[in-house]
Amino acid sequence: MTKRKQTPTPDEELNALEAHLAGTLKPVAPPKDIIQRLRDKVHVPAREEIVLRLRDWRSLFFIFGGVMSGMLVIITVARALFYLSGRRHTG
Amino acid sequence: MPEPEFKEDEVLTRASEGDRESFGLLYERYVDRIFNYVYYRTGNLHDAEDLTARVFQRAMNHIKNYTDRGVPFSAWLYRIAHNLVANWHRDRSRKQEIPLDDLPILPAKGDHPERNLVRSQEQDALLRLIRRLPPERQSLLILKFVENMSNSEIGEIMGRSEGAVKSLYHRTLLALRDQLGDQNINLEGE
Repeated sequence: MTKRKQTPTPDEELNALEAHLAGTLKPVAPPKDIIQRLRDKVHVPAREEIVLRLRDWRSLFFIFGGVMSGMLVIITVARALFYLSGRRHTG
Repeated sequence: MPEPEFKEDEVLTRASEGDRESFGLLYERYVDRIFNYVYYRTGNLHDAEDLTARVFQRAMNHIKNYTDRGVPFSAWLYRIAHNLVANWHRDRSRKQEIPLDDLPILPAKGDHPERNLVRSQEQDALLRLIRRLPPERQSLLILKFVENMSNSEIGEIMGRSEGAVKSLYHRTLLALRDQLGDQNINLEGE
């Protein structure tokens, strides 16, 4: 017995069309030269530059945090010594 | 180099205060997506490049006016692109320029550059039909398939409700199916 080719239902037709649309309308990768020219036109810094500056900013933040913490420790120790020496004089 | 991690809200605040590096981060995040949208809507690389640049220039000039009233930044950016492309089409029709049918082929994302540089006849025919649809329907299909957006996200960009987008999408599919039938184009199974 030969198989008869069935006429697709409207739903099947639309599903097939959707599958073709998904295969046709794909995201493309813009050429690198276009991305470079775009960056120049919009005047934004290069990606690498942004990442490096962010890293600089982060390291500056850590240095600043380190210095501040160090100063707090020194001040606390100095105050403790001052307090202890004051007690010795009065005692 | 991996994309630097950032919170979009903070970057948006800094960018709206005029910080160019913060705007640069937003540019990095969205440039490919905006280019894709404009490329499919204009059908040529030269205008896609020019319009994408104008989208970001306009965004940079007006980012102070952007306030998050439930509309994400990406939707705001796409709206700029949508309006600029509409103006571009209006100018072309005034100048009576012939619409471009053949979209230049670019490699799909994630594919090897040498692969996929040939489109099937069915894909070419389908693209031609899409490019003859009314602009709103073209945008809808591009946002849905290229940008992989949900109906509600598309609604935010097109200024329509989710239900209206769903209904427009269904009507678009029916119209495409009828046009394929009129032109005797038979889409083979994927």
